[in-house]
Amino acid sequence: MRRFKALLYKDILLLIRDLPGLAMMFIMPLALVILMTYLQDSTFNSITENKIPLLLLDEDQDSLGISIERSIRQSHIFNVDTTLKEERLTASSLEKAVAKGDYQIGIVIPKNTTENIRQSIRQSVLKTFGSDSASTAIEMDSIAIFVDPTTKNSFKSTIISSIQEYAAKLQTGFVLREVSIEVKRLLPIPMGEIEISEDMIGIKEQYARLDQGRLIPNSVQHNVPAWGMFAVFFIVISLAGSIIKEREDGSFTRLMTMPCPYWLYLMGKAGVYLMVCLLQLLLMFLMGIYILPMLGLPALEMGHCYGAIILMSISSSLAAIGYGIAIGKIATSNQQSAIFGSISVVIMAAIGGVWIPVFVMPNIMQTLSKISPLNWGLSGYYDIFVRDGDLLSVLPESGTLLVFAILCVVTAIVYDRKKRR
Amino acid sequence: MSDFLFAPQTQQTMTQIIEIKNLQKTYKGNVNPSVDGLSLSVEEGEIFGLLGPNGAGKTTTIRILCGLVTPDSGDVTVCGYSIKNEMDKIKPLIGVVPQDFALYPSLTAVENLKIFGGIYNIPKKVLMPKIDSLLEIFGLTTSQDRTIEKYSGGMKRRVNLIAGLLHNPRILFLDEPTVGIDVQSRHVIIENLKRINQEGTIMIYTSHHLDEAEHFCTSIALVDDGRIICKGTPKTLIEEAGAKNLEELFLQKTGKKLRD
Repeated sequence: MRRFKALLYKDILLLIRDLPGLAMMFIMPLALVILMTYLQDSTFNSITENKIPLLLLDEDQDSLGISIERSIRQSHIFNVDTTLKEERLTASSLEKAVAKGDYQIGIVIPKNTTENIRQSIRQSVLKTFGSDSASTAIEMDSIAIFVDPTTKNSFKSTIISSIQEYAAKLQTGFVLREVSIEVKRLLPIPMGEIEISEDMIGIKEQYARLDQGRLIPNSVQHNVPAWGMFAVFFIVISLAGSIIKEREDGSFTRLMTMPCPYWLYLMGKAGVYLMVCLLQLLLMFLMGIYILPMLGLPALEMGHCYGAIILMSISSSLAAIGYGIAIGKIATSNQQSAIFGSISVVIMAAIGGVWIPVFVMPNIMQTLSKISPLNWGLSGYYDIFVRDGDLLSVLPESGTLLVFAILCVVTAIVYDRKKRR
Repeated sequence: MSDFLFAPQTQQTMTQIIEIKNLQKTYKGNVNPSVDGLSLSVEEGEIFGLLGPNGAGKTTTIRILCGLVTPDSGDVTVCGYSIKNEMDKIKPLIGVVPQDFALYPSLTAVENLKIFGGIYNIPKKVLMPKIDSLLEIFGLTTSQDRTIEKYSGGMKRRVNLIAGLLHNPRILFLDEPTVGIDVQSRHVIIENLKRINQEGTIMIYTSHHLDEAEHFCTSIALVDDGRIICKGTPKTLIEEAGAKNLEELFLQKTGKKLRD
């Protein structure tokens, strides 16, 4: 333990004395996260918050029309207009507005739709109970939906499902009412109203997926973990640099003549840089929660499973540390490690969706992104922040990161043994 | 239990402290061996000089003894332990003073020594007085809190030496311990090394300062092309060769051809 403490003491001192390196590890990522979040906020809004323009003509003005309008507004997917600026809203002006591209969807609920449904059901029920007063079938007008050709199928489905759902509810209500009236009329004993709970079938809420099964984070939910991962991997330059510096100034050789196994030397480095990485991530998260909202950006919502956040943070940090150790061992000079380390991290960040989120990348790049450790980390944080995931949900990402870390360290140890031969 | 407190005393009854038999080492990519069947032994109380021109195989031999390089073949024991599989027992018994300063330039002398002392597993209450005493002996007390990068060459050499002495090693490897320093620093280093040797530390010394080696070493081996050319006390070897001094003996045995 005394040896490990001495190694920790050494690496802490070396880190503290390297002020430019410290600034690079802490100030640069914090500045980047503010800048990039601010710059990208409007872009993210256009992806996540731009609502589909929808024009609604409710000539019914009864239960069905009111229910449909309310449900469409509550979906938060559509921007609902019920009037036109230049002319009176009619079925033909609505169709023209959609055709011109001013609206992606137009809905016309014809006059007396609710009343016609009510009458139609009444006639059906009376007919069923053999009443003489049942008249001929009532002619119903259809609800018309005008769709711009560019509208996504998912939005069309949402609208049609909503309308069908509310029409079905309304019909069921009318059927029950009419049936209970007829039953009361026929039975000699008094009976109450038939009541059916709307919650008879439980629905477990799943993450809503509009298109291609993906979830879209806001600018803060993306940029804070993305630049956090970048910061964590950027320690590679400092870590590899310190390994090479020790080798160049001979202090590593001295350590290897001492009762200091190579693995213990690596543990000392890993211990100190793990603290650095976790501190970086903590500062990033605090910035997302407290500082970014002061700049008019959304606050970082971190989900509810802190265990998952800790697991992801530790496994991401260890992956970065492993990578730094491998570069520090294999690179022959400080210059080589700085150039290779920084370029490789920047490339992994670009591929992994740090700058441009993976979900807006072309398909081939989305596939390629899966080879980047920064993407594994980012996906894990998405699971927690966006999908409110738990420990189990981040196990694949954290496991992959830990395997990557182990592979890197094993490479460094094997390389070290080979070098001594 | 601390290695520092107990390990160095375990082998005190031995007379042959280092024994090398048929040591062989050829680095990857080289045709000629760096060490070619070298055999020697170092006994209790000796200051053993391993001397030779550049590329003779001295440094490789010392690096093998310190566990930095794995030999191709040969048997080496240090304090009775084999370097093949008992390096963990050997390392607490040896101190190394490399030719490079091998210190952390951005740290102070005390910080450097605290780190190395900790790695030797020396308890803090033993280590701190030891550091203070060695800094005083080597004239570094007033500058102990300055970073190494601000030290002169002589001061760095002295800290480099102290780092190898912190744990009272049984054997001290000295690779050119006085290269590039002024006469005063060299005098302090050599005088103190002689005193430490009298207290029981065996020393393996390499240097190109043959005059220093002649007066400092109790026995020497001249090495060239990875082999031992001659071995004995400096006085006997000089007399046997009819040379005036060690330098003349050295040139007689290794020739005047330039070495790289």
